[in-house]
Amino acid sequence: MKSVDKTAKGTAFTIRGKKYQKDTVFWSYIMISTELIGFLAFTLYPILWALRLSWFSYDGIPSNTRFVGWTNFINIFKNDIIYWRAVLTTFEFALVKIPMEIPFALFLAVILSKKMKGSGFYRTMFFMPNVVSVAIIGLIFSNMFSHMGVINRMLSDAHLIKENIGWFDHKWTSLFSLAITDTWHTFGINLLYFMSAISNIPEDIYESAKLDGAGRFSTFFKITLPCIAPVFQIIIMMSVIGTLNTSDIVLVMTNGAPGGQTYTMMPYMTSKFVPGFAETTANIGYGCSIAIVSALIMLAITLIYNKFSARLKNMY
Amino acid sequence: MKKIKAEDVIVYIVLSILLIIVVFPLFYTVAASFKTNAELLANPGAILPKSLTMDNYITAWNDEDFNVPILLKNSIYYTAIITFAIVMKSAMCGYVFARAEFPGKKLIFAIFSSLLFIHLGTITVYPLFNILNIIRLNRSLWGLIVIKIFAISVVNIYLVKSFVSSLPTGLDEAAKIDGCNFIQTFFYIIAPLLKPVLATVGILAFKNSWNEYLMPTIFTLGNPSQRTLIAGVVALKSGGTAATSWNLMFAGSAIALVPVLVAYAFGNRLFISGLASGAVKE
Repeated sequence: MKSVDKTAKGTAFTIRGKKYQKDTVFWSYIMISTELIGFLAFTLYPILWALRLSWFSYDGIPSNTRFVGWTNFINIFKNDIIYWRAVLTTFEFALVKIPMEIPFALFLAVILSKKMKGSGFYRTMFFMPNVVSVAIIGLIFSNMFSHMGVINRMLSDAHLIKENIGWFDHKWTSLFSLAITDTWHTFGINLLYFMSAISNIPEDIYESAKLDGAGRFSTFFKITLPCIAPVFQIIIMMSVIGTLNTSDIVLVMTNGAPGGQTYTMMPYMTSKFVPGFAETTANIGYGCSIAIVSALIMLAITLIYNKFSARLKNMY
Repeated sequence: MKKIKAEDVIVYIVLSILLIIVVFPLFYTVAASFKTNAELLANPGAILPKSLTMDNYITAWNDEDFNVPILLKNSIYYTAIITFAIVMKSAMCGYVFARAEFPGKKLIFAIFSSLLFIHLGTITVYPLFNILNIIRLNRSLWGLIVIKIFAISVVNIYLVKSFVSSLPTGLDEAAKIDGCNFIQTFFYIIAPLLKPVLATVGILAFKNSWNEYLMPTIFTLGNPSQRTLIAGVVALKSGGTAATSWNLMFAGSAIALVPVLVAYAFGNRLFISGLASGAVKE
């Protein structure tokens, strides 16, 4: 800032050719002090703690702590089929949910973006599930999807099924009901994002397309879609990150049913290593290495997606 | 009169069906909370109760173990303190990162931003317990509140920062000429202008902390009297009497729904504008 120069001497100092106001610097650090302390104590320290413990065998009793080197990591990659199954389930869940949710939200956004009566009302109502607690949603939907529950009842009343479906008795029906529930909860957000992206497209592009005789489908694919492409990428990325981090809904709704098969990475970790969910003898050191491997997998996916989508962007 | 097109009719029919699907689970919860426990057990698939009863609410209110007044009280102070802290902190942080020049600013901001992409998950509760032990708070709801007060909410910092950046810098300069220093400028000039964005930050923080499940559950383990409402309701599901506790779960859920739905009814614009300006889902 140039105005800095006018102030009295002794109140400013220079580091590497950059001039700072003493007063501003002082108050800046004070005003972000809770964040700085929080970062050191509640973010950095836990990460370092987990990095260190991932080299140990540790079950919560200090005297039982043993340095084991790479053993935890080797065990993950060599022996822990159940963990890799949870990783696979995470991807399967994403593959069920995202292709269901994103096109649906986009379709609705296109409809609601037309000048029509009540579109604001519908948008508000469609977003409403998002303000409800995921845990409560998991609880309610676990009741609705239960064997004698309201969903089976409605399906059989409509003669769509002959026998009640045991939604949580098979892996894929269980994953499917999770995906439905989670979509019910989150599609409103993506609807909002798509709608605000579409509202940023200049009106005259559509008008000239109309003059050129473009139909509805070609308008959508040749104008709307390319125009919202950057937002689209972000929406998908957030959807992927959100899905990989799915936690509460799985813990509450299926708690892995059947037999732990619907545990995705995060709830799997919770169910194996966290007090209240896991057995008290859990090897926390091993849990730390699981947490680190999971975090790296998710980071890698985010980075790969970013690189990949940047390339897509260049193609346009 | 404008001609009604067949296409519009179809669109409205589709939207209305969707509307029913969206509202149904909430409606079902409320309806089920008025069923008798016998009906919930014998006929869980019915939508409407055969006869309305308030018993579930009365039981939930007076139950020894599932004590709604205490759970509500915990939820209220948990949510209120955290919401207040987040609003104050993001206001100051957003202002500092938008306006101040201080050594390490870029680095600190980059580190905070990168936190969006690093999740070690729930394993980190162990080191958090360690820290709480050091400051003699142990594992408790208050311990969690302290952690939350110090937490960094990147998304909110972004929201406020971009809002402050959109304010003319002439404001700051005029304040400076009038003798305000950096922090006075914040309190006298900038903070009052932040009301719209802070309303958004506040309502989202309220929603998130009211709705939180996992951390309050872990931090109140073995301490049912400290549970928040959501943690208490969901704990019934994993309890030994889960199959016969649906009356309490539905009544508890319905109570837990009220504050967020009321907030949404009055503040839906805030929710929507907050998200549309680039917030990320939690």
